[in-house]
Amino acid sequence: MQAVRCYTRSVSAIMALLMILSSIWATPASANIVGTGELLTEQRADIDREALMNMLEREDVKSTLASMGVGEQEVRDRIQSLTPAELADFKQQLAEAPAGEGVVGIIVLFLLVFIITDMLCATDIFPFVNCIR
Amino acid sequence: MPVLWQKSARLPLAAVLGVFFVTLLSGCASQPKWPDSFDSTTLLTEVPFHPQKKYQCGPASLAMMLNAQEVKVTPDELVDRVYLPERKGALQVEMVAAARQYGMLVYPLEPHLESVLEEVQAGHPVLVLQNLRFGWWPQWHFAVVIGYDRAARSLILHSGTEERYRQPASAFMATWNRSDRWARVILPPDRIPATAEPLRFLMAAHDLETTQQTASAKTAYKTASEAWPDQPAALLGLGNIAYQQGKWSEAENYYRTLTEKFPHISAGWNNLAEALARQGRDKEAAAMLEKAGHIKAVQPDPTS
Repeated sequence: MQAVRCYTRSVSAIMALLMILSSIWATPASANIVGTGELLTEQRADIDREALMNMLEREDVKSTLASMGVGEQEVRDRIQSLTPAELADFKQQLAEAPAGEGVVGIIVLFLLVFIITDMLCATDIFPFVNCIR
Repeated sequence: MPVLWQKSARLPLAAVLGVFFVTLLSGCASQPKWPDSFDSTTLLTEVPFHPQKKYQCGPASLAMMLNAQEVKVTPDELVDRVYLPERKGALQVEMVAAARQYGMLVYPLEPHLESVLEEVQAGHPVLVLQNLRFGWWPQWHFAVVIGYDRAARSLILHSGTEERYRQPASAFMATWNRSDRWARVILPPDRIPATAEPLRFLMAAHDLETTQQTASAKTAYKTASEAWPDQPAALLGLGNIAYQQGKWSEAENYYRTLTEKFPHISAGWNNLAEALARQGRDKEAAAMLEKAGHIKAVQPDPTS
């Protein structure tokens, strides 16, 4: 376990460095104006987030999450903090699913992935998940 | 300690695996259903045909797509732009980039048969990527969908050396599925694809902006702002293009319209401030910046 934690630390250091570098490279064409792409990315994310929220209204999704002991409000809070990239990733998974089938599975799986990363203490967003240290 | 960790992780992991396999199993494909709304035969007769030379389906298909929009170009002229000799083929990204170099807007279709048929019905040929072999041993192939025949449940394609090749929908779907249903419509920027969705179209327009196709990008943003007056990005794009060209007062006008129509979008106020500052109107600029900051304070951006 100790070994895993050491490893996590170095990975997060590398990730932090990557984030800093990418934010330097991603400066828009003109330094001070907001680029068209930035607004589009933001709007796309808003629409995706709303779509994901609407999916939580489905009874089968609700009951599956409830049976796993995950509260709806916590999931909603988590969705609010999803980045555009994470939302795009989710949409991709959903698009690859055969029409009408397995949608619940994908929604629940996607949400679980985030809960599991919380469990492993990569992030600390879900206060109800007890971090195993 | 490691044992404890494994135990507690087993339960959710099992759940994840279970969900995963259910998803996999439900993926077994059935015969494609022909969409009800396309009940006749359509053929775009004006799309010219270029038979492909050895392996060169990419340049041939792209030439057909461009010729259909009255761009005069031959497959041979496109070979240098899109064909990679060592791969014996062209890449999707290069096909798209080459089309943009001719000022065309490249619109990615939703991965549904309906979308392809709807575009064809509207008179727009569709460039598709197929995998004629297997996922583990692919043979990629570009073709142009130019029609469909409901009675025969077939699509009509200019494909390889075959002109107006009729491919049964089941065969088309099988080969198209293996390319993750890659399909593009290539149109002049003043025309809107039949299945266009505002944000997707605007993103395609933005791709023109970032690839220095400024005139085309401007036309595309104008087209979008007329078709979808509720889209702020079209006005922002027009303003940004003017700004990048140093036309400060033109940029100011677009940004001002943006702030009037969409006062809740801080980008409009922020960019308006920049356009004013460039004209030496620092006092006005400061006031606009304050407004931009105020909106950001009211609506915190969840990503930042």
